[in-house]
Parts: sequence; C-alpha cells; structure tokens
Amino acid sequence: MGAAGSKLEKALGDQFPEGERYFGLENFGNTCYCNSVLQALYFCVPFREQLLEYYSSNKSTGDAEENLLTCLADLFTQISSQKKKTGVIAPKRFVQRLKKQNELFRSYMHQDAHEFLNFLLNELVDILEKEAQAAKSDQETSSPPEKMVNGPKNAQANGSHKDPLVTWVHKNFQGILTNETRCLRCETVTARDETFFDLSLDIEQNSSITSCLKNFSSTETLNAEDKFFCDKCCSLQEAQKRMKIKKPPHILVIHLKRFKYIEQLGRYKKLSYRVVFPLELKLSNTVEDAESEYSLFAVVVHVGSGPNHGHYVSLVKSHNHWLFFDDENVEMIDESAVQTFFGSAQEYSSNTDHGYILFYESLGTSNKS
Amino acid sequence: MINTSNGMMSTTSSSNAQSPGLKTYFKTPEGRYKLHYEKTHPSGLLHYAHGKTVTQVTLAHLKDKPAPSTPTAPSSSFSTGSGVRSAAARLLGGGNGSRALSFVGGNGGSKSVSASSRVGSLVASSSSSSTSTSNFDGKGTYLIFNVGDAIFISDLNSQDKDPVKSIHFSNSNPVCHAFDQDAKDGHDLIIGLNSGDVYSVSLRQQLQDVGKKLVGAQHYNKDGSVSSSRCTSIAWVPGGDGAFVVAHADGNLYVYEKSKDGAGDSSFPVIKDQAQFSVAHARYSKSNPIARWHICHGSINSIAFSTDGAFLATVGRDGYLRIFDYSKEQLICGGKSYYGALLCCAWSMDGKYILTGGEDDLVQVWSMEDRKVVAWGEGHNSWVSGVAFDSYWSSPNSDGMGETVMYRFGSVGQDTQLLLWDLEMDEIVVPLRRCPPGGSPTYSAGSQSSHWDNALPVGTLQPAPIMRDVPKISPLVAHRVHTEPLSGLMFTQESVLTVCREGHIKVWMRPGVSESQSNNSETVLSTSLKEKPLSSGKVGSSSYKQ
Repeated sequence: MGAAGSKLEKALGDQFPEGERYFGLENFGNTCYCNSVLQALYFCVPFREQLLEYYSSNKSTGDAEENLLTCLADLFTQISSQKKKTGVIAPKRFVQRLKKQNELFRSYMHQDAHEFLNFLLNELVDILEKEAQAAKSDQETSSPPEKMVNGPKNAQANGSHKDPLVTWVHKNFQGILTNETRCLRCETVTARDETFFDLSLDIEQNSSITSCLKNFSSTETLNAEDKFFCDKCCSLQEAQKRMKIKKPPHILVIHLKRFKYIEQLGRYKKLSYRVVFPLELKLSNTVEDAESEYSLFAVVVHVGSGPNHGHYVSLVKSHNHWLFFDDENVEMIDESAVQTFFGSAQEYSSNTDHGYILFYESLGTSNKS
Repeated sequence: MINTSNGMMSTTSSSNAQSPGLKTYFKTPEGRYKLHYEKTHPSGLLHYAHGKTVTQVTLAHLKDKPAPSTPTAPSSSFSTGSGVRSAAARLLGGGNGSRALSFVGGNGGSKSVSASSRVGSLVASSSSSSTSTSNFDGKGTYLIFNVGDAIFISDLNSQDKDPVKSIHFSNSNPVCHAFDQDAKDGHDLIIGLNSGDVYSVSLRQQLQDVGKKLVGAQHYNKDGSVSSSRCTSIAWVPGGDGAFVVAHADGNLYVYEKSKDGAGDSSFPVIKDQAQFSVAHARYSKSNPIARWHICHGSINSIAFSTDGAFLATVGRDGYLRIFDYSKEQLICGGKSYYGALLCCAWSMDGKYILTGGEDDLVQVWSMEDRKVVAWGEGHNSWVSGVAFDSYWSSPNSDGMGETVMYRFGSVGQDTQLLLWDLEMDEIVVPLRRCPPGGSPTYSAGSQSSHWDNALPVGTLQPAPIMRDVPKISPLVAHRVHTEPLSGLMFTQESVLTVCREGHIKVWMRPGVSESQSNNSETVLSTSLKEKPLSSGKVGSSSYKQ
C-alpha cells in the first residue's frame, strides 16, 4: 500500500494544488457502491466546499446529534485535513451510520450505487430542512416530519405542503423538469413541474448520451388505454406528452438505466450497451435556449456482468487530470482512458466495466451560495 | 437478405448470418445500393489488440504494371512505380469548377510531368503468386487497413474476403496510413504508429514480398525520438513533392520529406503556450521532420488537405475545426463544435465546404466562403466518426449550368449507421440571409476574396454556434450497415465503402453499377472495374481513434 501510495504521489507530481487530497477508501465488505459515490461527491468541488463550510459553521453550535450529514462532513473534513497528499481512509462511521439509517444497506449484498446516491442526497436535504425548521420555530417543539425511507426521489418536492426550502444541496443538484401535455382536441397545454436530483435515462445499444437525452424528451402520444384527462374538455382525450428541462441543475447527474427488469426472465439483467458520453455536453431539451455547457468530472463505473454482483469504481477529474478510484487504490489515468468505460458494442464481451452514473458540472455561472 | 440475382451474395450471406437484422441493400432516390463485397482480416486476430486500435481504411490504385526493364531482384532497391497521373483532371472537375488559386504549394508545375521511369516491377513471379490467393498481380485497386498490430491489404475488386497481404509490426500498432497515387518514386504508402513512429514504403514492393514484415521502409521519428505521442492522422501534401504531414495526440503536427533521410537530428524549441498556434522549423537542412506545427491543446484527431493542397484542415479534442493556408503556414479561420471533440473532417472537391463530425452527434458543414458553419446535419444517434463528400455524384437536374449546386455527402457514426445527405445550396442560404446585417454574400457569383474582405480578421476562431442559429438538414437515407461502431467511409466511382472499428469493410455498389454487373462472373466483373480506374489515396475518409 505504501509503495502504491508513493507511486501515486510521484505520478501526481506538482501538477496539483497543495491542498488537494487523493485518498482511497477502505472497503468494509461490499461497500464499493458507497465508496465510488463518495469519491465522485468529494470531487464535486462546489458540493464539497459547501459541505465543509456547513460543517465548520455548525461545529460551534455544540455537539449536534450524529446523522448522515455530520458523518459525511466528518469524513470529507478528515480527508481534506490529512497531512499527506495520498493514502487510505476508512469511512467507518459513515458506513455504520448508513447501515443504521437504512436497512436496505445493512446487508452484505451487492447494492446499487444510484440508489445509494439518491438516498444520500434526499437524506441530506431532509436533515437540512429539519434543521432549518427547528431554527425557525423553536417554540414549535419537534413536530415530527414524516420519515423519508428511500422514497421516490421527487417525493419531498411534490408532496411539500409549504414553500420548499432551497438548501445548498438543492442549489447544486436540483433541476426542474416540466411535463407538457397537449390535448389533441382543444390544443391546451398543461404543464406540470417536478424537481429532480438526477436524470434516469433509458439506454440503447451503440448510442450516445445526447441521443438518450433526446429520447427522454421525445414526444409521446397518449391514446387508447392511456388517454389524458383534459380539464378543459372535461373528458379523456388523446394527447401528446413530453418532458423538457425547465431549469437545468448546476451539477447534472445522469443515471444510465443499465439494470433492466426482463419480464420473461423474471429478474433484472445488466445491459452492457455501448453508450458514449462526451467530456463536454449541452442540454438541448431545455425550455429556454439556455445552452450552458457542462463538463464531465466524475463517472461511477459498474464492473461485472450481472446486476446482483460485481464491483463499483469511479473515475474523477481533478484539476484537469483524471484519476481512477478503486476502493483503497488510486491511480492517475489518461483522459483517453475514460473511453474504455463506454460499454460493449456486442453482447458478450470481456469488457464489463461500464459507465453507470455520470456527473457533469455546468461551466456557466458557478452556483455558490 | 439473400439476393439471388447477385452471385456475390452467396459469399457474403455466411457473414451476414453473424449480423442478423442487417440488410444487404439500402434505397436512395436514385436506386438501391447493394452490398457487394466484404473485406476483413483473419478472425484469429480478434480480441488480441482489440479496442486499442481503431481501423482506418485507405484506397490505393496501383497503375498498370510497367514493363520490367530490369529483371534484377526488386526488393533490393526501391521499385520506382510509374507515376502517371490519371485522376487529377477528374478530381478537379468533380464539383463546381476548379478554383483558380494562385498559390499552389511547392512547384505545382512538376506535377504535370509524368515520371516515366519504369524500373523494378515484377511480373507475377513465382514468389508473389505464392502469397496471392486470387488474381493478384501487383496492380489494381487495393484497400489498406489496420487492425491490431497489423496492416492488411485487400484486393478491392475480388470477391475474396481475406486480405492478400498482411504486415505485422513488432514495435507498436499501426493506426493511420495514406497512399499517394502520384508518388514520383517508389514510396507511396506512409504509416503512422501508436508509438509515434512513422514509415514510408512502396506498396508495390510490399505486395511483391512474401514475408510478414515491412520491406524497404524508411523509418522516421524512430522510437519516438522527435515525438513519442501517438500518431492520429497522416496525409501526403497534394503536389508536395513527397512531403507529408503527421498529426499527433499531443496537438502537434510534423512535416516530413520522404526524400530526406529520417536520421537527421531534429529538435524543436519548447512550446511556450499550449493554446497558441505556432510553427517551428528545423535548424538544419538535413533534418527530418522539417517543421513542427503546434495546433492545439489536446489531440489532433484528424487532418485533411484540400484537393489542390492549398489548405489544411484539422479537427481535435478541443472541438475546433481549424483551416490553415498550408504554404503560408497561417491559420485562416475555424470554429468550435456545438460541444465536445471533433473526430473527423473532409473537403468538398471544389474546396468550398468542409464536413466535420464529432461528439455532439452532428455533421457540420463549414463554408469557406462564409467562414462559418452553414448547416448542421441531425440524424446520428451517436458520435460521428467519418464524413466524406461523394465527388462522383452529380445531381440529377444538373445537366446544364444550373444555379443551384447540389452536393451529396455521407457520414458514419458509432451508432453503426451510414447516412447520406443532399446539400442544396438554396436550402441553407435562405435561413442564413436574414442573419448577417447588411448585404450577405450571394453564392452564385463573385470571387471568394471579395467576401473575405468584410469577414472576420484572418485567424479568428468562431465560438460554438447557438442551436437555433444554424440551419438543420436531415439525411436522405439512414442505414445500419455494421454491428460494430463505424470508423470511416469513402466513395469510389462504383461504390461506397464503410468500415467499422474492428476492421470489417463493406463495399456497397451504386445503383447503376451493381445491376449491370449482376452477372456472376468474377473475372468479367473485376476487369470491367479495372477499366475505370478509381481514384486513389484517401478519399476523405477519416476515423475516430482511441
């Protein structure tokens, strides 16, 4: 380990700023789903900075109750305050807390990295909202807000009874989709907004993210069994529906739906499709011609041929260099190596390392609070 | 799938069994393009170096065999092939008249002199026939393609799927190559390696040799002495007297002269600003490479010369298309992709348009007259890895000197599709006219320079256009041609060739051609094709590399 660490240190040279740390994360038995996502989040610089800022400003308020947010902040602080540039850290407290919090992650079974990311972000938002509420109305002693147990990702936004609080987590990850439905009889367009922390895209063989995004926003006709109830016509009507991005997020997280339920098999199957993702991206399926450019900074990769086993690693871009994180191991890689994680053009291939979650950051006005 | 009217299909049907769902023809307004031949490499090679290299294909036409004046062993010396130029006149006449450009790179006058020395070619000797499988005799049209650690050479006009020749490289993988039909002496094939090394050889000599190694090669940038960065694209300078350029993954492009020994010392100053274009010349006259052009930060992915050699276009990782005046070593103009890297580029035969393709899934049409993008082709579902104008195609209504000029071009992508497009100038001029303030240039008349006067200063690079500002065009045909992502395409007089990354090539016969030759006699077919010599060299093919 020591030898590998110094090797990395040598490779890093002086191309990186003094303060940047590159630490592997120990695996506690099938916790690679967690490690890979944590690395991607650590190198999501605005998120990391705001988390550390939150942590340092909240520390003074005394010993707050331990939760996932404090555990995550602890971990990030621990990494960033290391004396050495490289090494390995055990995210023990965070993993323990995670298992305590959600029974889903308690077992030693292979977990889904996207599910974990989704759970984590919603949990962080939940904690921040609770804190804000508590701060706002101290007299109103602990009204127990309904516990979010890994519900659908948009639940807290849709079902919110009051004005939703915009936390720094929202500011980084939240975007707004608008679901436009046009009644084919009266031509009235009904738009319904929903928030998202990531976009889950259906994938096709030998396609690109651009193409998957296009399909995501393609027009769908509601007819036959699946008609639309038009408020104006007061009846079920044929309609056209499409999803557009109303507000693009600052950090665009794209989840490739590689695990598909195959009805004939009665189980999930991993799609190893080759889906190319560019290092720069623009969203053209927006409501306004925003056209802000995004730059890829992290990729969570699923390694393995099936959905119930395998491994997660991550690729991370830091100060214009790419690094490969595999639990404890950290290596520098060439930018062109990112292309080896696109997937397989043929179904049976020896290559089983496939990009699963993509993290893009907007190059436009930075979104710091 | 099985087309019984064409005898050739019997040989291809077995391979199509491996690629279910792929049709062996596609329809266009002018008729059907039919799959005629497939070329590939021995399957034993599969999986070895796969994924590491991406196949590119080069078309090479070797002239009619010259009379053997010297019966001595030809492999001992450079075999000087006859350099008769046959295709130049057609090339210039392909599009919309030739552009009279005053500055032709090098001494263009020498081009018209056909080098008539005819030495050292073999009549099908016992040694060469032992390596050949079909009617191989060291002349005709060949496909040169790289797969893994090897270069393969196939006879375009034989139904044989397997190559007639393979050349293996022990030091590194070959990744790009180019052929010069007009080479004045023996060396007409240049090959760039993953290691940065470059070789020039005589194609004819390779075909006549029985071994599996490169013979009679000149070695440049030996062991990466000048640049150890991967070669990405290589091209002969048209009319450049044996000069050629090699683009590398580090954003540099080197100019070599094949007449010079590759051993001369060449060192270039350190590049001060990676983002700035700069040219450095070698300090010694014996040096080879003779110059280094630093083009951009990040890889140069593809390069292409205009037919007359006056301009050089490059595309790269930074998403910019750049157009240089080659002899003046000056950046003329260029622009950025919508987003992401650009992967391929190709000129129209008349030098008026450049096609690019890239990671934004768009086929971009760049106008040299307007110095900007004039159309975006939407239709690929993944990255566009190859683009080419069809210089043999003439629009059906253009018998006279019509006002509307139509271009046909093709593109291939990692979505495994071949797309054909028609570019009618009227279509794209109209939306453009309302954009620029004041009088916008008209297309029909006027010299190019008059438009340039009121354009941007020389060397200005345009930012990425806004989606709604660029006119969109849709493909005429979209056809899934392979099961693997594609890496290139080229047009010949009789066909369209598509190649996938893994090294499988398909030859699609044009509508008229395949029907007149549906007769299944292979000999009739191949001789009839040879009567119409194909253009040589890289007809606008380009590739996307790892």
